[in-house]
Amino acid sequence: MKKKKNKIENNRLGYLMTIPATLLILLVDIYPLFNGISLSLQKYNLQHPDKRRFIGLDNYVDLFQDVEFLGVLGYTFFYTIVTVVTSYLFGLILALIMNRKMPGKGIYRTLALLPWAVAPSVANVCWRLLFNDRVGIINIFLMKIGAIDSPILFLAKGDIARYTVIFTDFWRDFPFMMIVLLASMSSIPRDLYESAYMDGAGFWSSFRYITMPMIKGVSAISTILMFIWVFNRFDNIYLLTGGGPNKATYTLPIMSYFTSFMRGNMGKATAMAVVMLMVMTVVAIIYLRVMKSEENE
Amino acid sequence: MKSKNTQKNIINIVIYVIFAILLFLLLLPLISMFGTAIKTHDAALMTTSLFPEKWADLSLENFGYVMIKMKFGKNLLNSAIVSIVVTLACIFCAAPAGYAISRFKGPYFKFYSVLLLLLQMFPIMLMLMPQYLIFTKLHITNSLLSIIISYTTGNLAFSIWLLKGFYDSIPMELEQAAMVDGCTKFRAFLTVVFPLTLPGIATVSVFTMLNAWNEYTVASVFLKKDAIMTMTLGLQKFVQQNGADWPSLMAAACIATVPAIVFVIFSQKYLIEGMTAGAVKG
Repeated sequence: MKKKKNKIENNRLGYLMTIPATLLILLVDIYPLFNGISLSLQKYNLQHPDKRRFIGLDNYVDLFQDVEFLGVLGYTFFYTIVTVVTSYLFGLILALIMNRKMPGKGIYRTLALLPWAVAPSVANVCWRLLFNDRVGIINIFLMKIGAIDSPILFLAKGDIARYTVIFTDFWRDFPFMMIVLLASMSSIPRDLYESAYMDGAGFWSSFRYITMPMIKGVSAISTILMFIWVFNRFDNIYLLTGGGPNKATYTLPIMSYFTSFMRGNMGKATAMAVVMLMVMTVVAIIYLRVMKSEENE
Repeated sequence: MKSKNTQKNIINIVIYVIFAILLFLLLLPLISMFGTAIKTHDAALMTTSLFPEKWADLSLENFGYVMIKMKFGKNLLNSAIVSIVVTLACIFCAAPAGYAISRFKGPYFKFYSVLLLLLQMFPIMLMLMPQYLIFTKLHITNSLLSIIISYTTGNLAFSIWLLKGFYDSIPMELEQAAMVDGCTKFRAFLTVVFPLTLPGIATVSVFTMLNAWNEYTVASVFLKKDAIMTMTLGLQKFVQQNGADWPSLMAAACIATVPAIVFVIFSQKYLIEGMTAGAVKG
């Protein structure tokens, strides 16, 4: 009994030290989170606040009967998966090339880091100039070398824009993968490679049997983290196409943003966000599992 | 032996060349931004080269126009204020919390570490919509306070978690020795442990500052008045109003990016530390 009291006494400082952070997290994260979930069960439009009422799961039923929403959900997954996979592969290749003694490695690494560090609002203004059909350097160059006859409408044609926004997101994300994988690779002892080389292993087999197993855990965690970031990402697409043309580049964050902040339909918009939360919950479970198995290793 | 060396050299040169081309392509948006910004306004609209073609086309007039006519300076100042206040607030909240989670045992602290991981997964949109309703009720939208609160909280989970890792690596004996000398535990934290985690504080600061400087989504929801807009919003407003005025736009983008790039170059040790902390150390 005395011991228990002592423990509480001892921990009091610990509780006190978390107070500022806890207050902020409770008031600005947790309360709005539950508030959002409860809003998703209501009919609530900011333009008609008097008609606000509880409607149970109706918003969700509506969403899953809405072809447009299902299409957006599908594209959100496509967008996220393609971005994460290409960022990972490209980051891996760059890390493999840089994971050797080469002069100027630091400069290369710094320069490759820049896309990740530049504000998306800045980067996407630059991309809009580059992709422009009249003054954009990419179209001018391609026409000059005769690869195309008329400019490619990177942003104005839906089926192209869907890949253009993925490309700019990839551009922003690969540096993270490169840095993380490079750090993990450089912690692999050199003599492992040397003895494999003695045994006659080539590049491919030492990659397959030494590098890959050693970076497996880091790869899993960084891919999951990036999935979360990209799935929730709003600014990349919004700043490039605004979700257009004709909603072709709508993802869930974009759709819920327009539904809530432009049309005032809070009930429906929060329901969309809760669907995102459910996807994230599944990802979180996978993430915690991977973390646990990493710790055990 | 000699031929093997030559072969190695050739491979190295090939790799360098490929890398240089790759980097040029990757940095093309930033290169063309800079190249367009330093052209005269007319030359930028008439010519399509990456950089000014002749000396007469070189000018800084776009920068002057952006700062004076567009009042972009005010946006930059707002961003700077927000970045600094958010960073300080974040350290104030995260440093003690990270220490508590690292040093104290019990279900509360165990739950806290899991909560921090989960917080980073919550969809921003789901919190942003109720936040908007709440902040509107409290009449703090259209003030820097609204985004300062939101950014601070948004950066908290990562910061606490990262600092916890730093505290974990500091041996307990240090505080115990200080406490034997008559320090309270909190004093020992402030005078003995905290100074040792300055690299961690630096990492948190660099990340928080960069995040706050670059953030767009939250700011676009809370700030609607021109006088209070941050850099990212000011740039976007300019795009909407004079979308085809590329030279001024690129000059503004340049002004907004140069501090960030300089910052990244000088603080990259801490940036890389933070980037890898999440994934590599687990």
